Amino acid sequence: MSEIFVLAEHRNGELRDVTFEMLSGARNLADKMGATVTAVLLGSGVNEMAEKLKSYANKVLVVDDPKLENFNAEIYQKVLSKLIKDHKPVVTLIGHTAFGMDLAPALAVELGLPLATDCIDLDAVDGRLVVTRQIYSGKVNAKVALKGDQFIATVRSGAFSIEEGALNGEIVTESVTIEDVPYRRFLGYEEAEVGEVDITQADYIVSVGRAIKDQENIPLVQELADVLGGVLACSRPVVDKNWLPKDRQVGSSGKIVKPKLYLAIGISGAFQHVAGMKDSGLIVAINKDPKAPIFNVADYGIVDDLFKVVPVLKEKIKEIKG
Amino acid sequence: MDFELTEEQKDIAKAAREFAEGEFDKDYAMECDQEHKFPRELVRKAGELGFIGVHYPEEYGGAGLGALENALIVEEMCRVDSTLGLCIALPDFGCEIIKWFGTEEQKKKYLPKVCSGEWISAGIFTEPDHGSDITELSTTAVKDGDEWVINGTKTFITNGEIADFGVILVQTDPDAKPKYRGMSTFIVEKDCWEAADVGSKMGIRATSTAELSFDNARVPEENLVGELNRGFYQVLEFFDESRIEIAAQALGTAEAAFDRTMEYIKQRELHGKKLAEFQITRHKIADMATKIEAAKLLTYKAAWNFDNGRRIDPVLTSMAKWFAARTAVEVADEAIQLHGGYGYITEYEVERIYRDAKITEIYEGTREVQKNTIASGLIGKL
Amino acid sequence: MDIIVCVKRVPDTSEADVVITGKDIKKDDLPFEINEWDNYAVEEAVQLKEKFGGTITVISVGDEDANEVIRRGLAMGADEGVRIYDPAIEGSDGVTIAKILAAAIKNMKYDLILTGAQAGDLGEGIVPVALAEMLGIPHATLVTGLEIQDGKAKVKRELEGGLMEVLEIDLPAVIGIQTGINEPRYVSIMGIRKASKKEIKLLGLGDIGLTPEDVGEAGSLTVLEELSVPPVTKVAEIIEGDPAEAASKLAEILKEQGVL
Repeated sequence: MSEIFVLAEHRNGELRDVTFEMLSGARNLADKMGATVTAVLLGSGVNEMAEKLKSYANKVLVVDDPKLENFNAEIYQKVLSKLIKDHKPVVTLIGHTAFGMDLAPALAVELGLPLATDCIDLDAVDGRLVVTRQIYSGKVNAKVALKGDQFIATVRSGAFSIEEGALNGEIVTESVTIEDVPYRRFLGYEEAEVGEVDITQADYIVSVGRAIKDQENIPLVQELADVLGGVLACSRPVVDKNWLPKDRQVGSSGKIVKPKLYLAIGISGAFQHVAGMKDSGLIVAINKDPKAPIFNVADYGIVDDLFKVVPVLKEKIKEIKG
Repeated sequence: MDFELTEEQKDIAKAAREFAEGEFDKDYAMECDQEHKFPRELVRKAGELGFIGVHYPEEYGGAGLGALENALIVEEMCRVDSTLGLCIALPDFGCEIIKWFGTEEQKKKYLPKVCSGEWISAGIFTEPDHGSDITELSTTAVKDGDEWVINGTKTFITNGEIADFGVILVQTDPDAKPKYRGMSTFIVEKDCWEAADVGSKMGIRATSTAELSFDNARVPEENLVGELNRGFYQVLEFFDESRIEIAAQALGTAEAAFDRTMEYIKQRELHGKKLAEFQITRHKIADMATKIEAAKLLTYKAAWNFDNGRRIDPVLTSMAKWFAARTAVEVADEAIQLHGGYGYITEYEVERIYRDAKITEIYEGTREVQKNTIASGLIGKL
Repeated sequence: MDIIVCVKRVPDTSEADVVITGKDIKKDDLPFEINEWDNYAVEEAVQLKEKFGGTITVISVGDEDANEVIRRGLAMGADEGVRIYDPAIEGSDGVTIAKILAAAIKNMKYDLILTGAQAGDLGEGIVPVALAEMLGIPHATLVTGLEIQDGKAKVKRELEGGLMEVLEIDLPAVIGIQTGINEPRYVSIMGIRKASKKEIKLLGLGDIGLTPEDVGEAGSLTVLEELSVPPVTKVAEIIEGDPAEAASKLAEILKEQGVL
């Protein structure tokens, strides 16, 4: 019976959510393909993590080696390509994360296998993998078919919800001889500098996007946040332009927040941003573009120019709060 | 016939637009408009990137390009913001006279500093008693040894309060008949005049418009631009070129009003229907777009004609200036109309665009003066 | 130091209504621009050149329109432009684009290759890492910090949750640049003047040792089957009215919902 490989992603001894999401998604795919699910866990001293994976997979394939302690794309590639050559899984799933993006394309090229990245859905048609991925800033879904009989796909964080596992996969440990990669050295992790505000602790967040247009306009939204008794956060482009510090960024490469109120102002709602705020209590979006994806996660929306709405909103909230 | 811009011209227009979109800020534009503030830093930045004076030769700090490239930059800048865009177009005002008629020393001294955004110049022509008609002047320059002594008052001088220097048109031969055969141009530096703001203006409020008084202002002989007593003709030729720039300003301003309106009608709903769905709106949009396209063709043609070494054609440049200016006012007017009550509110920009548009029908020759030029060119002497 | 920067011309769909026609979207009315990530990559290259000297070559795979973004790179400070095109490349997937780039680059002289970490249109994020593998050199992608010293690159990769991975890789290498690494400069008129005097070298498939079978759908292991509008899972309740009305209604709703 053929296997579906799911590469477990972990950092600092913790398995990341995307691992369980992929394992959940892989189970459906496995049914369609008549395959089993194998969690592939590479690391150092990973027994505990392996135990956690058991209920989500038919098998947990472990390579435990000190050289695998920290993620290193080149070392992981060497081990993974050997495992794929030996086991010939029909599909290999890797998270479309900073980890997966640094690994999957090189792996696919080395093995000569087709690669689809950032998939939000996985399907099997006549034994082939057919994926759905989003293009043009989330405005179009593309169905992509992979040729051949072995496939690699990277999966977007949050694409599948985690379904509690009822399996009891066997833990199988393999040893792989790992060559050194002197041309790539891991030096360490660095936390982004922490400022005076911790947005993850706030009940009310006013979050601002690219449409704020200029650093000089930041006070406008800061005042709204002040009136609400909340904090000001932002989407990636605002940090890229240095209008707000990195620790204010909401999204997959920033902070995950769950406030009571998330007020998204001039934010289009790229999935990376949505990943950081979708579990907020009440979500309100103000955006000029009625087709902006943010309106698909928001509870309420105003389709208009933020510069016209925000000043009035601020005054009204002030009135109500007395 | 080829209506395509060259790759370089497209790149230039795109670069100007990127700069304007990146640097212009609506709130800052409103502040400059309301508080009568000139965006000095922005001009310096634009100068450093070469957006000022592309139509001057490279050896004098320009880009060695023509009136068309300059028009494209002015159009794009004004399209992003009519108030701030104009401020990027204006710093070289009057310097074309130095470019065409000045000595090597004059060109080397003044043009590079203007093109880099460091200095601002003024074209000092209009007088309180004579208006746009420069065939008569009261301001005089009298020779005293190696110097000329200038006396008189000039008004409606753009950049008056902020200019570092300017080119002034004065009467040097009081006995000349007709009078305009005794006029000359001089370079005057800012210590030569006293400037007084003309008062609160309807539009283009970020720019300075001032009355300049010259009281025994002394300038050295070497500040004479070109031949003595040929000043009137120089200024006429200057207008033939500068009218193209004003046409581009008007064109960009019209496009600014149009862009805001397109955005508004697609968003705003009335009785459950988008404004853009009403036939009356659609017809107005068709009218506006057609006028803009016609103004664009005229402006580009006038610029192209100027750059391609044809005989300078005052009829064509006047047509472009008159028509583009009229288009700007009409399109901005319809823009407000389509915005309804909101169009009358400062926040919605079109009212500012309308105020900024109106000047293009007045300065550098009113639309009546343009029509005179066109008619004289066509009908000739009877 | 000789640097190659790979750039792509993409449509800006951020504020547009996207219309699907067959296996593509309608692009006639869309503004096109340099891929945002690539713009940061060009700026990074120009800053490195200002520091260490050397040359920058901007390379793009695409039809004649791609010249626009190559010229933009030249205007920002690159020295040479190369465009690779053959009608057969239409339908190439990300790995195949990397194959085309690798075929051209392997004959060129370079110390460093920069690309955007991904492109704003298709968002695959394949090219930098695949290209490195094909050239047999190290890589790092999603890079938000880059320092070059003694033939090595110290890079910061952006991970999730505001964490950075710091690593050192030997040169030559391919670096996939993440947005925010620098502040891209504006294109200046002087830059455009310089760029327009330069000739962009055009390479066909034959010039880089590939055949039409190696590229396009034939040469790709993935095939686009169908485009569709994403199904709407949830839609916000849109508060109608002019901005003032809508803002007032929203304030009331916030009160009712107990968040005020």
